[in-house]
Amino acid sequence: MTTDLSDYVASREAILDQVRRILRDTMKLKIEPQAIDPDAPLFGTGLGMDSVDAVELVIQLDTVFGLQLSGSPEAFLKIRSVNTIVDAIMEMTDES
Amino acid sequence: MSREDEYRAIRHSAALSRMDHVGLLRLMGDEVMEAVDAVCSGDLWVRDSRMLQTLILDDRGQPLADVYVCPDDDACFLLVEGITSEELSALLARHVDPELDAELEDLRPDHELLSVHGPYAWEVLSKWLTPDIIGLPYLSFYRFDRGICFRAGKTGEYGYDLMLRSADAEEVRGELLELVTSLDGAEVSLEALDLCALENGFFSVRHGSVEGLTPMELQLQWRVSTRKRFPGVAAMEQRRARGIGRRLTHFVARDEVKSGDVLRGPEAPVGEVMTAAFSPGVGGVVGTALLDISVAHPGIDEFFASDRDPASPIWTVSSPMLLNRSLLVDPRRHTYATRDGETDPPLWQGSLP
Amino acid sequence: MSDAPRITGWGVASALGVGRERLRGALFRGAIGIAPILRFDTSSFTAHVGAMVTGYESDGRDATVLCHEFGSLALRDALAHARLDPESLGSLRVALTLGASLFGDQNTENLARSLAKELSIEGPAITVSTACTSSTQAIGFGADLIRGGFADLVLAGGVDVLTPALFAGFHALGVLSEGPCTPFGQQVGTTLGEGAGFLVIERGGLRDATTRALIRGYGLSGDAYHETSPEPRGRGVAAAIRSALDDAGVSETEIGYLNAHGTGTIANDAAEWCAIRSVFGSELGCSIPLSSTKGHLGHAQSAAGVLEVISTLECMGAGLAPTTAGFEGPRPGGPPRPVSAKKPEPLAYELALSSNSAFGGNNCALVFGNAGRAPLDVDEIRPVFVSTTAALCAGASNVEELASIYESNSPPSDREIRIDLAAELPRVDLRGIDRASELLTAVTSRALAEAGLKLKGEARERTGLMVGALRASPDSIERFSSSIVERGLTKPDATAFAQLLPSAAQSACAKALNIRGPQSTINIGEGSGLLACAISAWMLAQRRDSDRIVAAAVDVQTEGVAGGALGDAACALVLGTAPTSVEVVGIGVAGPDHLDEAIAQAQRRWGSAKPPELFVDRLKPLEGMPATSSSFALAHAVHSLRQGGARSAMVASKGTTASVAIILASTEVIHDN
Repeated sequence: MTTDLSDYVASREAILDQVRRILRDTMKLKIEPQAIDPDAPLFGTGLGMDSVDAVELVIQLDTVFGLQLSGSPEAFLKIRSVNTIVDAIMEMTDES
Repeated sequence: MSREDEYRAIRHSAALSRMDHVGLLRLMGDEVMEAVDAVCSGDLWVRDSRMLQTLILDDRGQPLADVYVCPDDDACFLLVEGITSEELSALLARHVDPELDAELEDLRPDHELLSVHGPYAWEVLSKWLTPDIIGLPYLSFYRFDRGICFRAGKTGEYGYDLMLRSADAEEVRGELLELVTSLDGAEVSLEALDLCALENGFFSVRHGSVEGLTPMELQLQWRVSTRKRFPGVAAMEQRRARGIGRRLTHFVARDEVKSGDVLRGPEAPVGEVMTAAFSPGVGGVVGTALLDISVAHPGIDEFFASDRDPASPIWTVSSPMLLNRSLLVDPRRHTYATRDGETDPPLWQGSLP
Repeated sequence: MSDAPRITGWGVASALGVGRERLRGALFRGAIGIAPILRFDTSSFTAHVGAMVTGYESDGRDATVLCHEFGSLALRDALAHARLDPESLGSLRVALTLGASLFGDQNTENLARSLAKELSIEGPAITVSTACTSSTQAIGFGADLIRGGFADLVLAGGVDVLTPALFAGFHALGVLSEGPCTPFGQQVGTTLGEGAGFLVIERGGLRDATTRALIRGYGLSGDAYHETSPEPRGRGVAAAIRSALDDAGVSETEIGYLNAHGTGTIANDAAEWCAIRSVFGSELGCSIPLSSTKGHLGHAQSAAGVLEVISTLECMGAGLAPTTAGFEGPRPGGPPRPVSAKKPEPLAYELALSSNSAFGGNNCALVFGNAGRAPLDVDEIRPVFVSTTAALCAGASNVEELASIYESNSPPSDREIRIDLAAELPRVDLRGIDRASELLTAVTSRALAEAGLKLKGEARERTGLMVGALRASPDSIERFSSSIVERGLTKPDATAFAQLLPSAAQSACAKALNIRGPQSTINIGEGSGLLACAISAWMLAQRRDSDRIVAAAVDVQTEGVAGGALGDAACALVLGTAPTSVEVVGIGVAGPDHLDEAIAQAQRRWGSAKPPELFVDRLKPLEGMPATSSSFALAHAVHSLRQGGARSAMVASKGTTASVAIILASTEVIHDN
């Protein structure tokens, strides 16, 4: 593996694990963070989150990562799976 | 009807489809949920009139069937892909206490399933059935005089599956097709639906079952209970304890890649392509690959399908990969006639290799 | 008792003025009581308007002080309207039914106690805490106190104050509109309000008083769907409306005007419109005059229902239809033509229906109308039986273990409550359930299971849940409070906010177990559980909308030790109309200082000359479980009767704001008298 790739994977996995822990705590899931699949849908099916859970998740993502998703509905669409959240965080970090 | 036209119907207006590949069954009796619980892998946290996606695993922990569990009063409807009603019946006989009050009935002989998908599918149903349909939440169902309307779908758009008596099906199909056509939609093939399912990261037991893959590799752990017993539980526990070496990951490519193509990184092989198809929305190929766990992440642009000449680069992406129109359409405010297609953001926000 | 309860007066403290004359004038002018909020800083929120009580817009005093003041103003206004001297209340059998929820960590019964004390109300003071339906239900229960002969006159209504925390919670949920709300209209979202309103309800022939309207009936239901969202097709709302029509003995075609809940949110208005069409049919649904008063008064929470009833009464008396202020055009999926003139226009109607819905899916509808119409006779009183009981506290996980605590009369050495609800209910999603909800769901589930009941089909709608609880679960309160302290008002914990009501446990339990029949959460402090049993018994006896009601109670201590503190407790009794070996033969409800009166009432209803053989007191060795201890006593009495230790038993509780007595008898001896 190239250095760039291993750095990328390492930083992605670090964020992924943090997001998983937030999801576990927000959803009061009694499982290991590893058991949350990165592509699992968050709402409706998958983890089965609802609109009230979403409010807390958005606050946590802002508090922990400084990711601002409230306001525009399109920004809110960035949270559909764990991976899309990680994408949004990495995108934000790249921009700043 | 070209694949592009079918795709446009599903992604931009409304599409009608026959769902002949889905098994329709009903369990009747006082202990139907206990019976379903005994064969399905997930926690059956499902309430009356709601639907839950779960799996049936074989003894090696590999998905045999993709199941919607739909309880309603004394019955539980099962919409099943992957196994026949006879196979399901045999599984129930093997795993369910025969004393339980639960009797399986195959509804297929005299029922059919028609489905309407698309960002304006709700408009078709609200005209055909009742305006109240817009209040039906995702993964819910309700009975009407001619059948049952399930709000489900595996395309990322609004989706409704109508279970109808066979005698009525042809007439209803005509009525729905007329409505779908009035919204510039069309009747579409299973292949078009499968492409949309792939783009939105839906598991397909008809394409995704690969020897040796459990819900852990397939990113379906949310459909597997960690607190109950079910067929395949021992294999799942073993796999959990051992960890996985590969994981399903989505990708896009500009050029053609095919199922089975070996994927390489700059230094070594990293995995292989599971499914791939051309996506009009992306303007390239979308697919799933089984990647080494160390690199099974989106956002990587260093891999290529080495069997191709020249080698075809692939970029891994997050699922779902599209910004579905249905997320932007609110049945309480919008209609197909008053839509503003000009200002809609593109379905695919990314780029291609 | 077949006479319908009479409304002889009403009073308000509202955003359209303090005093009914001011409200009336403002309503008739088409005034809107919504304005930029001055009481607290809203600059960090996206919404800035509210409907504050006139004259209190900048009043920064504590919410409990304001609650008392609003309540007192409205009560005195109502007494004046009914031509009652406040000094005379002590001499009448007067009760107070108060809708109050007080999102937060205060016990709701304190407000009822202080209001009752101020006005020398000697009778029972019952608090109903179901958020936005609190005062609507309080009117229904108030009417029942009259119909059942428990009181001669009832002051029924509700109070709420708009606090920064409440505003923050609704803001976080994203349901506040930027400008003044326009129910069913273009502006999406609601506007919060506050205020107080009370009706004077009395029996006919009590005194020389002008009857201004009659309460014809009410109906309750639960969605069993979600903490904050209504069931999208409005089935629960429709069930409450149907139950109210049935209780009133009228058909939907006789309703001349409908006052909708109409908060202005997408979810509520769409679900409610589904419900209205399902009850009235598409044609009548579109043509019946209907409106929402929230465009004028905002959403006054626990006072919303009574303020809407009073607005309707004012208009009805003047031959006018209340209007939907601010409405300028319909929204898809809503009523096409709600009444929306700039000022109320003439409309003649004899009967009105008012509907409200609350967090957790508590629905309530009221039918009331002009005095001119003679109500139908009420149905025969049905006998009520206890089928099963379940108890849970330190040292006892069933009634047999509870019995041994009674016998030893000493506290258990083991203080831990062992409970694995996920194992008991494998097909229920219990993620995020709070402590009170967990305990209540456990006992209710066990009691229903022991009764052999599977809640499927019609049984879901025919099963009720009446819960005695003093406040929200302390763990949810703590989560919400600490989120505000740590993250500020713009980022409260929304999931905790949704559980911040005394009725949160009742809603969670109903959702987990699919209980959709009549339900509520009531509070009289000590003895709340016994009152829940009494209300369940009279509802089953007098009404036809349920076959059984789980009468339950739950307490959770603030100062917890790991695994559950002494004082964490829950109890459930399944009461029903199907005969069992134990019948509820007498109930009595009276003021907190009149336990003897409650006992005398129960004895009278029993019709026996002899006193009950057994008297069960609340469980002395276990302290600090005010709602549950009296329920335990009743469960133990049922156990004792089943064991053959006695043939009749009484439990009586001198509660904080009401006394309750219940007499049980083995069915073999009932007809001996």
